[in-house]
Amino acid sequence: MSLPKPNWGWASLPCLLLIWIALASRFPTYILPQPWDVAREALRWLGDRSLWQHLQASVLEELGGFFAAVIVALLLGTAAGLSARFRDFISPLNSLFMAIPPIAWAPLIMIIFGLGYVSIVLVIFIAAMFPMAVTIQEGVQGIRGGEVRAARTLGANAWQLLARVYLPASLPFVTAALRIGFSQGWRALVAAEMIGASQGIGWMVATGGQIGNSSQVLLGIVVIGLIAWLMESFVFRRIERHYQKWRVQ
Amino acid sequence: MLNTFPYVPPQADALAVDDISFSYPNGHRVFSSFSLNARPGEFVAILGPSGCGKTTLLNLLSGFVQPQSGRITINQTAVRPERSELGYVFQAPQLFPWLSALENVRFGLRMSARTDASQQRAQALQYLRLVGLESAAHRLPHQLSGGMQQRVSLARTLALEPSVLLMDEPFAALDAISRNSMNEETLRIWAELGQTVLFITHDIDEAVFLADRVIVLSIAPGGIHSELEIQLPRPRSNLKTRRLPAFLDYRNELMTRIAQVMDAGDATVYPTPRLELTA
Repeated sequence: MSLPKPNWGWASLPCLLLIWIALASRFPTYILPQPWDVAREALRWLGDRSLWQHLQASVLEELGGFFAAVIVALLLGTAAGLSARFRDFISPLNSLFMAIPPIAWAPLIMIIFGLGYVSIVLVIFIAAMFPMAVTIQEGVQGIRGGEVRAARTLGANAWQLLARVYLPASLPFVTAALRIGFSQGWRALVAAEMIGASQGIGWMVATGGQIGNSSQVLLGIVVIGLIAWLMESFVFRRIERHYQKWRVQ
Repeated sequence: MLNTFPYVPPQADALAVDDISFSYPNGHRVFSSFSLNARPGEFVAILGPSGCGKTTLLNLLSGFVQPQSGRITINQTAVRPERSELGYVFQAPQLFPWLSALENVRFGLRMSARTDASQQRAQALQYLRLVGLESAAHRLPHQLSGGMQQRVSLARTLALEPSVLLMDEPFAALDAISRNSMNEETLRIWAELGQTVLFITHDIDEAVFLADRVIVLSIAPGGIHSELEIQLPRPRSNLKTRRLPAFLDYRNELMTRIAQVMDAGDATVYPTPRLELTA
């Protein structure tokens, strides 16, 4: 045990804000607005409730794509972790899809499915599913043979083995996968909305750029970052705490 | 007329390995016409250098792999991995890191679910007490020392009340001091519960200290090199037993035999092939 070291993490955001203010003072507001100009823009968007409407659209798309990806990734990842044959079969596909930036599929998907919810959910699905499947597969593969063997000699049947050994042992990896999947999906969502959508946070950023409203662009960026941060600290960190105490090796 | 009554020996073997042969799919032959018996309540140590097939023997005994010929029986019936009268203690404790010591010991009881949760906990606690770890019941495995982990592992196996205990170099990873005290613990528990024990080791002192009988294996293709009855008085203790002239005699005798085994074998160490376990 060592003494708690001072953590300078709290200083990074104020520091960024100071640099922003210093830079913005050298440019006219319509090019680089000050943080308070962006705050005023935020009040305007909040005032007519349009920010909520766009946020709601984005979050619904994200959740739809993300949950579909979680279910498929759990199935594929577990199967690939347990069966070497299935792993051999699926690995090239995984590598292929991971190598192509998910946003590259967006134009094709939009030609097929049109602009809107289904297309964007599909882009999120592609972005989130493959990295999640790989992480879950590694988790299941990484379960020590010794633990499985010990459980079998203690009388566990196949179902008990899955529920009492594979599931708890792979929980840290499943959480890591959720985290990766959510953030990949979120990135893809914003990009997809910028290409083809009529609402959403990404759309907000894109139209802000088109009409030359840099405050709107920056407001969109802040909201995107805020959502990601909220998910990280209030959802994933909390899940992580459940197994952190036994993962200290 | 022939007598058609089945022959019942006066005291049937708790464990019988009858003329087995086994080779791995790669052709590496580990056993040919190998036999081994243990009487009920007997403490048998299997001693051999690396590469003599100790791990393979254990896999065969546990029913995880099948011999190509011959029979292995435990209390007169064929072995299967899920047999509850067989208990295993492995070299690594293999505790479940997400469960407390108590819940680890309860694991096997929970699988069979013959009793309700409170009875399972009481029984688990009783076995933790037997290994002297009642006070650590609510600690997680990573909060226990290596020796303590191995004791929890032992309690976890004993909680299922197996009549035959297979121990695969259970204390090999411990330092010499912990190992000696675990040896004493093992004998104390064995005296209390009276199971048949098959104890695999490469430590000569440990074999002499623990066993009624030491079986020396030869290097693969394996078989039994020789057997040695250990007639040291019981109860045995580190302080008394290890100083007896007879203890040293047994030890020297076994050292000589191991040297013979090493000379006879080609000293090639065969790694044990990894087994794909099917769920």
